[in-house]
Amino acid sequence: MEIVPIEMFNVDTIYEGEKIPAIRNITLRIEKGEFVGIIGPNGAGKTTLLETINGLLEHTKGEIHILGKEIKRCGPSIRKEIGYIPQEFGVDDLTPFLVKDVILMGRFGKIGPLKSISYEDCRKAQEAMTSIDINGLSMRPVGKLSGGQLQKVMIARALAKEPKILLLDEPFSNLDFNASADISQQISRLHDERDLTTLVVIHDISSIPDRCDRMIVMNGGRIVKDDLPKKVLHPELLKLAYGIKG
Amino acid sequence: MIFLLPSKIILITIIGASLAGIACSLMGVFVVRMKLSSLGFCMSHAAFAGSALGLVLSFNPLLMALIFSTIIAFILGPLAEKAKLHTDVILGVMFSLTMSLGLTFLNLAPETAMSSVAMSILWGSILGMSGADVMRLAILTTMVVILMTLFSKEFRSIMFDRKMAEASGIPTKSFYYLILFLTGVTVSLSLKLIGGLLIFALLVNPTSTAYQFFYDIKKIIIVSPLLGVAFCLVGILISFLLDFPVGSSIAIVSSLSFGTAVIFSPKRKKG
Repeated sequence: MEIVPIEMFNVDTIYEGEKIPAIRNITLRIEKGEFVGIIGPNGAGKTTLLETINGLLEHTKGEIHILGKEIKRCGPSIRKEIGYIPQEFGVDDLTPFLVKDVILMGRFGKIGPLKSISYEDCRKAQEAMTSIDINGLSMRPVGKLSGGQLQKVMIARALAKEPKILLLDEPFSNLDFNASADISQQISRLHDERDLTTLVVIHDISSIPDRCDRMIVMNGGRIVKDDLPKKVLHPELLKLAYGIKG
Repeated sequence: MIFLLPSKIILITIIGASLAGIACSLMGVFVVRMKLSSLGFCMSHAAFAGSALGLVLSFNPLLMALIFSTIIAFILGPLAEKAKLHTDVILGVMFSLTMSLGLTFLNLAPETAMSSVAMSILWGSILGMSGADVMRLAILTTMVVILMTLFSKEFRSIMFDRKMAEASGIPTKSFYYLILFLTGVTVSLSLKLIGGLLIFALLVNPTSTAYQFFYDIKKIIIVSPLLGVAFCLVGILISFLLDFPVGSSIAIVSSLSFGTAVIFSPKRKKG
């Protein structure tokens, strides 16, 4: 029997010091190879959902099984199999890290402590760079990259660890139309080539990748719709989900 | 003055200063990159307060400095981590608290308050270091270098972005607390040389100076301790020649170097 990549049963996550759950009663099953888009207004719980799935946020109710393991008990070992790109990361103009090092870092958790970086690790990082066509950036400081280039670097970093699951939090935000289309295309291609299970949070519904098999709409911490994109991307439903009147 | 001192004292001072320069600036790489400056600042003043309390109680000041800075690290660490309090608030409250505690403790022991030992805790002292202090610093510096080599991957990953490091499967919490603990120990052991009021300069200035020239963290990790040693030795020389407090001399040298580095930094050149 094939292991289900993501299974959530009646999950709540409450931030420390808060009383109202940021996500509530989430029951979700994502099969291997699915490409799932998550949309919803600000504060809907999209980022919380991704961070709960990879265990960066501890859920307060329910059960989460990732690749057949309970996330609460096996967090670090599960995270070695998940490529995650957060919405924001600590990069500024002076950030003293080169692109090649940042991408190789994607493998550090997998290599494990007290083990040195092998030739194979460097090869995998190089392969990730090649697959997304950023070899020319390898010696550039990450702080000097454009938004689109940085997003590609983060995708390469996520791929370098050879993940089974890819979680992307608003990978198209702050990108212009061309860069957004390019990143969307690259993600879709890599999803198919590497047989990944992909969840992508999208803020702007005009940038939803065509590759999406399934769309989840969130509002108020709940899943309000989970269906095929053509059924979800319906003006009336979207108006309701985003609280648009008229 | 330098020529009047026995060569053994000069040697101990030079070795001690070099070791403090290496240890402080290595920990400074974390403090600067991970924006732990307010934490480091409070820890250095906590070490000063602890050391002063040690004097009052006639108890080992070094041990008290260690205890105080470690306690502060383990109270402020989680606070800063959860970001429930802005770092400026932590800095404002804890700086004034630790400073007042330190000065109050010194005041409680009038017979030692103005003694050379008490003043050396405040401003540092060239003659304050003993062979045992140098030995302790040597052990600490070796430990820091070994840990930074063994866990180089994890530390670099955490310095890039802690959340992403955690997401890639690195248990960042234990490394974060290791960094805080080592910073506390480094500050406490270096206290005698540069003093509680200015030790922070040795934590931050060498790394901040190296930052102006390199985009590669590995180069910053190598250059920062070299600068730390250079600042300490030049500071000591100025202190010998002009009879300045050694802590002030090191802080002035390192701050001027940082200012010069900012002016000439290739990172700030346009085009």
